[in-house]
Order: sequence, then structure tokens, then C-alpha cells
Amino acid sequence: MKQLVIHDPTLRDGQHAVRHQLGLTALRRYAEAADAARIPVVEVGHGNGLGASSLQVGLAAATDDAMLSTVREALRHSRLGTFMLPGWGTSDDLRKAIAHGVDVFRVGVHATEASLAEHHLGFLRDAGAEAHCVLMMSHMASPDELAEQAARAVGYGAQAVGIMDSAGHFLPPDVTARIGAIVEAVDTVPVIFHGHNNLGMAVANSVAAADAGALIIDGCARGFGAGAGNTQLEVLVPVLERSGFTTGIDLYALLDAAELAERELMPAPPVTASMSIVSGLAGVFSGFKHRVVELSGAAGVDPREVFFELGRRQAIAGQEDLIVDVVAELSGRRTDG
Amino acid sequence: MSLTAGLTNARPDLVETVTVAVIGTGAIGRDLVSKIDRSPTLDCRLVAGRNPESAGLRHAESLGCATTAAGIEALLAAPNPFDVVFDATSAASHREHWPLLEPLGTLVIDLTPSKVGQMVAPTVTGVAAESARNVNLISCGGQASVPVVHALAARFPVTYLEVVSTVASDVAGRATRLNLDEYVAATGHAVTTFSGVSDVKVILNISPAVPPATFRTVIHARVPDADPVAVRAVVDRAAEQVRSFAPGYEVVACTAVDDLVTIVLKVTAHSDVLPPYAGNLDIINAAAVMVAEQYAARPDRVSRMGVTS
Repeated sequence: MKQLVIHDPTLRDGQHAVRHQLGLTALRRYAEAADAARIPVVEVGHGNGLGASSLQVGLAAATDDAMLSTVREALRHSRLGTFMLPGWGTSDDLRKAIAHGVDVFRVGVHATEASLAEHHLGFLRDAGAEAHCVLMMSHMASPDELAEQAARAVGYGAQAVGIMDSAGHFLPPDVTARIGAIVEAVDTVPVIFHGHNNLGMAVANSVAAADAGALIIDGCARGFGAGAGNTQLEVLVPVLERSGFTTGIDLYALLDAAELAERELMPAPPVTASMSIVSGLAGVFSGFKHRVVELSGAAGVDPREVFFELGRRQAIAGQEDLIVDVVAELSGRRTDG
Repeated sequence: MSLTAGLTNARPDLVETVTVAVIGTGAIGRDLVSKIDRSPTLDCRLVAGRNPESAGLRHAESLGCATTAAGIEALLAAPNPFDVVFDATSAASHREHWPLLEPLGTLVIDLTPSKVGQMVAPTVTGVAAESARNVNLISCGGQASVPVVHALAARFPVTYLEVVSTVASDVAGRATRLNLDEYVAATGHAVTTFSGVSDVKVILNISPAVPPATFRTVIHARVPDADPVAVRAVVDRAAEQVRSFAPGYEVVACTAVDDLVTIVLKVTAHSDVLPPYAGNLDIINAAAVMVAEQYAARPDRVSRMGVTS
């Protein structure tokens, strides 16, 4: 039986679904429940990671310091994880997080930009912390490109490396090819898979990742996350066990933690809404949804067509201004026709 | 060489060239060398890199500049010190370079976010080096945001400032990637210094989008009871001044809702060697070259040159 490490970003990625408003009591309550279930790593923070609380992406209800110390106190067995995006968080934020007793750091970069993590992975390695590098929006890069970027991250000091299916675009064979290529390129460190559920494939994709050799799999209680949500943790774990992997997680306590999460963290569990399906098919960052719907409505164009055009143009997070261009173009095309 | 051709037409008593060296052959160094080449008062005598294969050195050679792959050591070994040295390496390298350059009496213009020298944002501080021998250009986001945050804070009771810049991936070189922390610190320091607002947040996005994203800087400001019309007037005036040296600088949007002001600035590059989206490099290099040209035109310098020549 192959041992997997389950990494739970409910208290970080889930923040996107509630505009980073999780309070300290909610954080503590879920962390205690996750700890009781023996989930190996519990990740916490602003949805965009350390130092990201801002008008740009949303102010968090609690400071990084308060979130980290609250969850640290709640964990007796589970390790404490956190996340950072270089350019948003800095080494000062990492230093403070180390002082709070964070065990596992995730440094996130766009799939083709591993070199943005070079400094911070080196900083964490020198500080003796466990640093992972995750390549986001990984459907935008080929298996070979991802393998090359992953190998670079390991060279910079990453002690685990992997991919996020940020747009929820993959089908299982896509995951098999990508994880397979990365495992072959970085056989010295464990490989991570982090799924999103836009096409209802998150659990199946995670099993494909484990079959292809990934050793760290991410999942969130009730799939808590923006839009269609993440891989649903309490489904993922028993499915992996049935598929021949061990996780060391207590199923009943895990199911209890998910009940608690549904009651205390979220207004309602994520739903695979029509626009989430479209953004997943188009391979577009789901955070574009509100602006696409708003601008399409005002211009009288079909938001689904806007998403597919954004996908053709390979729009990525931060390029919200492209939505305006696409809506204007589709609107003009329709008038001309 | 075009520089010599330009000089024959200039009145020698008014336009004395200053000798210039550039350290660093990355994305920023290349455009800098082109801008220096175009300047009638700056004479590029040496471009120093570390990698003999670098495209930046070949580019400098194609413009007729002497080049070396022996880095700052070659520059220090030159028989006569240069009047001006541009440092386009990295913050950490600049901290090593400055103690070596300081004894030469050279004016050092630092394009890294090292926080060592006197900060310059042309429309706010002017470009006269005064007594400073080390002038710092802050960062691309600093050059884009400081004129606006300075003008806003001078006119309105600003309580919080946030500066979010986006740079296209292929014009963010290795030094930039390694210097994200320094970028955030230097930009934040400049925003606080020139606005007086201590509660400041700085974010940098490196975007690999295709086609590449044009350099943009978004400023979010908390301003109690902000009047949208008055804010827009202040921002437009500041932008007009910046366009005097960075013509691609424009206000894309400026809104004020309740106490939240959002200003979107875009900088398009006007350069021989840069793609239009590389406004990040264009604005900082244009500012750096202005500092050197102003130094060349200083009366004390001109008279000194007059005596020696």
C-alpha cells in the first residue's frame, strides 16, 4: 500500500469563496476537527497567501499573524501549512510565519514562471523550513514544459513540487501525462497535485495523479473554494483508500470535520454552476466570472462566448482588462453581422 | 557613430559630453544603452557585463560602444574614471558596487531597488543630483506611482495607499525576479516618503500572458469623501508632467466611490529596442538618462569642462 500525504488548504483556498472573511473562531474550530481526523497538513491564510490582504484582491478578516497563531494552537498532530505568491508576500512575511511555527510553505507561481520562486525557495531552504513549489494554471503548459519548470524549482530548493489545475480544465489523461512527466524529471522529491472541480473531475483527476506517482494530494472540506470549488476532501480520501493508497486519516473524524466546515465556514457548499463549467472548458481563471457576467450583460453579448474567446487568447489572472476588449469585439461583430 | 555626428553640430561651449559606463546587460541595460546612444550629451564609453555571450553586450557593440565581460572590475581598471556610471544589475550587486565606485567621485545612477542612494522621481524631486553622488531610481512601479501619490496626498487627506503593478514576463529579467522583496520594499519606502502616508501596500505581478500585458500600475487610495472630479484633475495634471519625459504614460481610469479612489495607469514604451508593452523599462530608463543629462548641463560642470578642454 502506497502512502500519500493529504494536504488540506480548506482554510486558505476556501477563503476565495467568502472574500477572505473567515474569522478566528471558525479557523480554530475547523483546525481542531482536521487535527482530530489526523489530516497531515492544514494550510491557512488569505486566499492569495501571506501578505496578500489588499484592496486589489480583498482585505482579510484576520491578520496573517492572528490566523497562523490561532491554527498553530489548534493543531497537535497535523502540521501547519501556509502559502505565498512572490511579489505579494515577501521574505519578511516568511520569516514571521517561521516564527509562528509554520511547518510547510507553499510558494505559488504561474506554470511557466518557476524562476519567480528562486529567491524565496532558497530563503526557506536556508532557514531550514520545508518549502514546496506549486505551478498554477498548469493546463496552459505542456507536460515537458511543466517537467522542466518543476526540475528548476527543485534546483532552487523545493522539497516537493507539483501542479495546480487552477481553472479546473483537466481530464484524467491530461493529469496522467503531466504528473508522469514531472515524476520522471524530479524523482528525488514528492510531486503534488491540486485539483479544481469545474468539470466534476477533481476526485478522478486526483486518483489519476496518485496512480501516475504523485505523493501529495490536496483536498478541501466540501470542496470549499471559489466557483465550483476544489477537490472534495472527504470523498477524495476514501476513494484513494479504495484505490489502494493509504492516507492515515480517520474516515469518521474526516466526515465530522466536513460537516463542521459546511456549518461553520461557508454559507453553502460550492456548486458547479453553469458559468463554472464554461470557465473550466475554456481554461480560464474562474475569478474572471463576475466581470465577464457584468460586462457581457451590459453589452448584450453571451458571457459564454466571452469565456471561450478569453480561453483562445490565453488570458490569465491579472488580465481583467482583456475582458473589456473581448466584450467590445464580440459586441461589434454581432452588430456588423 | 551617430553620437559624434550629433556633436559636430552642437556648440561645444554649451554641450560637453560626459563619459558614461553601464554595468548590467539585461533587459534594462540594453534599452539604457540605446537611450544613452541617442543622447547628444552622453558618451557611452563602456558597457560591462558578466557573460561574454550576452545579447546585451552584442547590442552595445552594434551601437559602437566598447564592451567587456569582466564586470565592474574592468570598469574600475579604466585609466580615467567615468563621469557617470549607471548600475543596471541587482540590488545586492549594487550594494557591493557602491563602496568600489564611491572613491572615484563618479556620479552613480542606480536602477536597482537597493535603497542606497538619493531617490529620484523626476516630476517630484527634479533630476538635479545636487550633492548626492548616488542617485536611485526606486523601481518601475515607483516611477509610475510616485508622481500620482505625491499629488494626491498633497491635495487630499489620504489614509492608505496600495500600488499594484503588472510587468510582462519577458521583460522581467533574472535580477528583477530575484529582487521582488527589494522591489516591494523600495517602492513602499518611496510611496511613503513622497506621500507622507505610512500605511502602504505594494504588489508586483509578473504576467506571462500572450500577447504580453502592457506595463500598468493600479493605485488604490483611501480618501475620505473623495470628489471624483477633483481627484481626476489632480491625477491628470500629474500625468501630464510625467509625459514630458515618458510620453507613453497615461491615465486609463480614475474613479472615486465613497472613500475608495482607484487610478489605473498604463505606460507604453517609446524606444528603439523595446516592445511597446515594456513601459516598465522605458519610464525608469528615461528618468535615469534625464538625471545624467541634467548633470552634463550643470554650470559648474560645463565651466570645469571648458577649462580642461
